[in-house]
Parts: sequence; C-alpha cells; structure tokens
Amino acid sequence: MAAPIITLEKVEKRFGDVVALGGVSGEIRAGEFFSLLGPSGCGKTTLLRCIAGFEDPTSGAIILDGKHMEGVPANHRPTNMVFQSYAIFPHLSVAENVGYGLKKQRISRAERAQRVEEALAMVDLAGYGHRASHALSGGQRQRVALARALVMRPKVLLLDEPLSALDKKLREQMQVELRRLQRAVGITFILVTHDQEEALTMSDRIAVMFGGQIAQLDTPQNLYRRPMSRQVASFIGFMNFLDAEIRADGGHSIDLDVAALGRVEVPSSQRPGKPNGRKVSVGIRPEMLTILMTDSETAEREIEAEVVDAAYYGDMTYYDVRFPGVAEPAQISMRNTAGRRILEAGDRARVGWSSESIVVLD
Amino acid sequence: MSGETGTHSKGTGLRVYAFAYLLFLYAPVALLPIFAFNDSQIIAFPLSGFTDRWFGELWEAEPLHESLMNSLFVGITSSVLATLLGICAARASTRYEFPGKKPMMGFVMLPLVLPEIIVGVAMINIIVQLGMDLSLWTVILGHVLICTPFAIAILSAAFASLDRSLEEASLDLGETRMGTFLRVTLPLVMPGIVSSLLICFTISLDEFIIAFFLTGADTTLPVYIWGQLRFPGRLPSVFALGTLMLLASLLLLTLGEYFRRRSARKTGIEHTAGGLV
Repeated sequence: MAAPIITLEKVEKRFGDVVALGGVSGEIRAGEFFSLLGPSGCGKTTLLRCIAGFEDPTSGAIILDGKHMEGVPANHRPTNMVFQSYAIFPHLSVAENVGYGLKKQRISRAERAQRVEEALAMVDLAGYGHRASHALSGGQRQRVALARALVMRPKVLLLDEPLSALDKKLREQMQVELRRLQRAVGITFILVTHDQEEALTMSDRIAVMFGGQIAQLDTPQNLYRRPMSRQVASFIGFMNFLDAEIRADGGHSIDLDVAALGRVEVPSSQRPGKPNGRKVSVGIRPEMLTILMTDSETAEREIEAEVVDAAYYGDMTYYDVRFPGVAEPAQISMRNTAGRRILEAGDRARVGWSSESIVVLD
Repeated sequence: MSGETGTHSKGTGLRVYAFAYLLFLYAPVALLPIFAFNDSQIIAFPLSGFTDRWFGELWEAEPLHESLMNSLFVGITSSVLATLLGICAARASTRYEFPGKKPMMGFVMLPLVLPEIIVGVAMINIIVQLGMDLSLWTVILGHVLICTPFAIAILSAAFASLDRSLEEASLDLGETRMGTFLRVTLPLVMPGIVSSLLICFTISLDEFIIAFFLTGADTTLPVYIWGQLRFPGRLPSVFALGTLMLLASLLLLTLGEYFRRRSARKTGIEHTAGGLV
C-alpha cells in the first residue's frame, strides 16, 4: 500500500452557522486517482478548496506530503487546480497561460518555453501556443487548464468538476484521456464530481460524501457491491431494498429472514456497514436478479413474481416486478440476448437470485 | 379605424416626437460652432459673414490659457485620485463582506444626488474654519468628492464582471496577491479604469458651482467663462472656446470607446466591463 500524500484529520469548516464539513478524516495515497463524489452541497468542493488553500478549515488538520498546511497560502502549496470554469486568463495567449506559473520560478526563458511546449503536447495541443485563449473551444480550454496545472509539476492535481461543462460525447472522451494522463504522469489526482458513473469509471478510490461527512471511502467495486448504508447504495447506481430481520448472528455469518425471498444465510462480509438491531434491509442490484425464461434455466434461489412494467431499451429490457407480499416493485435489468423473450406487463415470471448477490444494510 | 392604421399613425407620432426631442436637445449645441465663425459681436440671426478672428482672440487671451491649464491640472488630478479611491471601494464592495458595508457604500455614493451648491457652501465653510487657503487643491478636493461615486459605479461593474476563479487560479499557480492584482486583475479591469478616468475628467472639466466656491486666485475654465459673460464683446470668443471644447470632448469619448472595444475584443469579454456606451 502506497504512503498517504494527504492526511485529513477531523477537517471541519463552518460558514457562519452552516457546517460545510463536519469533521472529515481520511487518507489519500500517493499516485492514486481519487474522487470526491456526492450531491451538490455535500461539502466536496469545500474540501477540495481547503486542500488547495482557498479556504481555511475551522478546525482539524490537513497534512500534505508530511507537512501541516495550516497557515500555508495557496501560492505556497504543492497543489494545482483545474477550475470548473477553467479560469483561462482571457488577456493572455495559450502559451502565456500555460507558462504563467513558471514565470515566478527561476528558470531560463528557453527552458520555460520548452516545458510549456511539452505540457501542450501532453494534452494534444502542440502548436497551439500562439493562439488567443478566448478563441478556444470548451474542450480546448479544458486542456489548456490541465496543461497550465501539470506544467507546475504539482504533488497533487485538484480537479473541480472539470467535465461538467462539456457535452456528453466530449465528456466521455475526456474521462478516458484524464485517466490515461494520470497514469502517464503518476501524479495524485483528486477529482470532485457529482456524476457517479464518472467517479466509478475513472477512480482508484472514491470518497462518497453526504452532509459534510464521508459516508464511505472505498474502491469503485466495493462501493457498488458492498455499500455500507442505504444512502450510499441508492446514490451509486440503482438498488432494490427489501425488509429483513436478523434471526441469528453467528459472527462469521448471519441468518436472515428477507421479505418475499425467505430465509438465507450470508457471510458477515456482506454486512459491511455493521447496522445495529434486528430490523434491517437487504439490497440487491437490478442485474443480480434474473428472470428465468425457460424451464431449463435454473438459479441457486428462485421466486415467483408478476411483471408490472417492461421498458425496452434495445440492448436491455428493464422490468418492474412485484414479489408476493411486497408493495414496492423491484427493478430487474435483462440483456436482450439472441432469442430471449421480452415479457409484458401482467406476465408471470420466475426470478432467480443468489445469496452472494445481496448486501445487508441499515 | 383598423388596428393596422392605428399602429402606423402611432408609430409616426412617436417618430416626430423623438425627432423634436433630439432637435430640442442638440440644436443649442449646434449654434456654438455657427456663431463661433460669425463675423458679428451680436449673437443673433441673420449671420453676417465668416470669420476666424474669435479663435485668434482666444489665442491671445493670456488669462484664458492660464485657466485652461488650471482646469487640466484639476481635471487630471481629481480623475486620477477619484479613480484610485474608486478602485479600492469597488474592489472592497464586490469582493468582501464586512459589517456596515451597505450604509458605508450609501454614504460614499451620496454626492451623486446631493445638490452641488450645498456641497460647495458646506465645503467652503469647513475650509475657512480650518484656516486653509482656497486654491486649486481645494477645488480638487471638491471634485474628488463628486467624481468618486461615478468612478465607483463604473469600476464596480468592471470588478463584478471579473470571474473570481481567475484570481484564485493565479494564486494557485504560485503568484502572490500583489502579483495577481498586477498580472490578472488590473489588465482585465483596465477598460473600466480608462472609462472612469475619462468620465471623471469630463465631470471635473466642466464643473462650475463647486469650482466657483472653492477657487482662490487661480480660476478654472468654467469660472473664467462665467467671468467673460459680463462683457458682451467677449461672447463670440466664448462660443469659439465652446466649439473647441466640444470637439475635444467628442475626441476623448471616441478615443475611450475605441480603446474599450479594442480591449474587449482582445480579451473576448462580450459584456461591457464598465464601458461608456
């Protein structure tokens, strides 16, 4: 495990009576692609701005590369930021923008020009140095902002929702490029985003934030498969919830009675959040439920259900099915493979599931 | 009457009104150059012939040159001072929140609506009480007071349209606060600063009441012109002077607008960052 480049110790930030950060702790490892994910107002941007030095935490400590950052202004921190608005200086050319920070450093004009050109080449803008910055497209401005930050060779690159202003196609292309760039330069990236898909596809680890707290800090796979709370489970992808009761807790495994699904025993690793009490809920993803179309198809566990609604999306069909005794329909996603039937509302369906696909939540 | 003819006649009526309005507004100004070249001491139609001797008279009037130099000195000094104060106030009011900000800004803007004669009387009282001598500097004091609200209004617009993250980006790239102000903030609000200087200079140049109260032995141009009005024979040369001043202000405004548009084009800022027009 790599050493932490940033350690957050109970970082708290208040704006008057409003608590933006309620004591956030965690470690960000050197060289990883780290994302701060959450709905707007969850404090993710405030945390990023505290790391950058634009906001001073009310209490708590930020340790960056072994040094306490308290009282260190933004211009003396080994971090650089890509702003949401890109903040390209409109009165300067592309090269002057990228070379802006280098001018303060004691390096020769020739070396400066060379580093600017290298940085522009890194973001596929070689030869654009003499362009006026206001004549650039949104995607190009984004690249200039990236080059301007990377040319400083920061220890940590901070990205404040850098893709939110781009259209869908360009955004997906930039996601791939950002990831490639991060691997190439090996710098720690911290990305702020409200887009869970973006966070899942790009990050090594993600901190999911709600109401100024980190709800879960984990890898994308663990966040999706083993969320620690209902809040995290429903923020990342879609999750079906069923009421359940703990019958026996054997330490290594738990014996559950789940509404509609019945009795099941799962290892305690499928209860990552360690909820208190006997009344819990069980989460199961739409793709973990399978409609068994023919008699020859079988599953570890099966249950009879009724199709309430079917939405055909071409590659996928999304079903709402009702389990006996459960009011809220469950969502099931089925890939439309060759020859597979499409059911209609009112059809009876055999639904297959397995004990390892469920997660026990609060 | 059908609806169509109704709107048509209404449109014609408005057009006539607008034309008459503009005529009433600018016809007296158009008389300035006409009588400046008229070969008669009497300001009345019919015109009696072309002459440029009134301009020649201007050329020889020594006190006029002095008062012109005084006015330029007062105008430049007060516009620079008012703009400097305006930069500080506009910066503070657009960037920072502090207790008492609203009443404070209100008081700073008050001279905009205060009658100048009251300002003039009040200031001369205080200056005499303090035992100061009336001079061009007391005029400058008065002009800074009335110019500063204009400077703040223009510069606030310029500072407010400046994206805050540009300054943060500069800090983030290792620049100091002072360096950020010089390398990012100042160039981007420069059109506003030029506008402010021009407007303040123009206000100061033709301000009469405060200058009349606060001036000492040296007079400014408007005060000099007022003095000339007692001699009917000097009236045509005052018209000649007015013509030159009209040309000068048109030139200044055109120049100011040219620079503003050029910088707006260069930086790609669409909105008018505290421009004149």
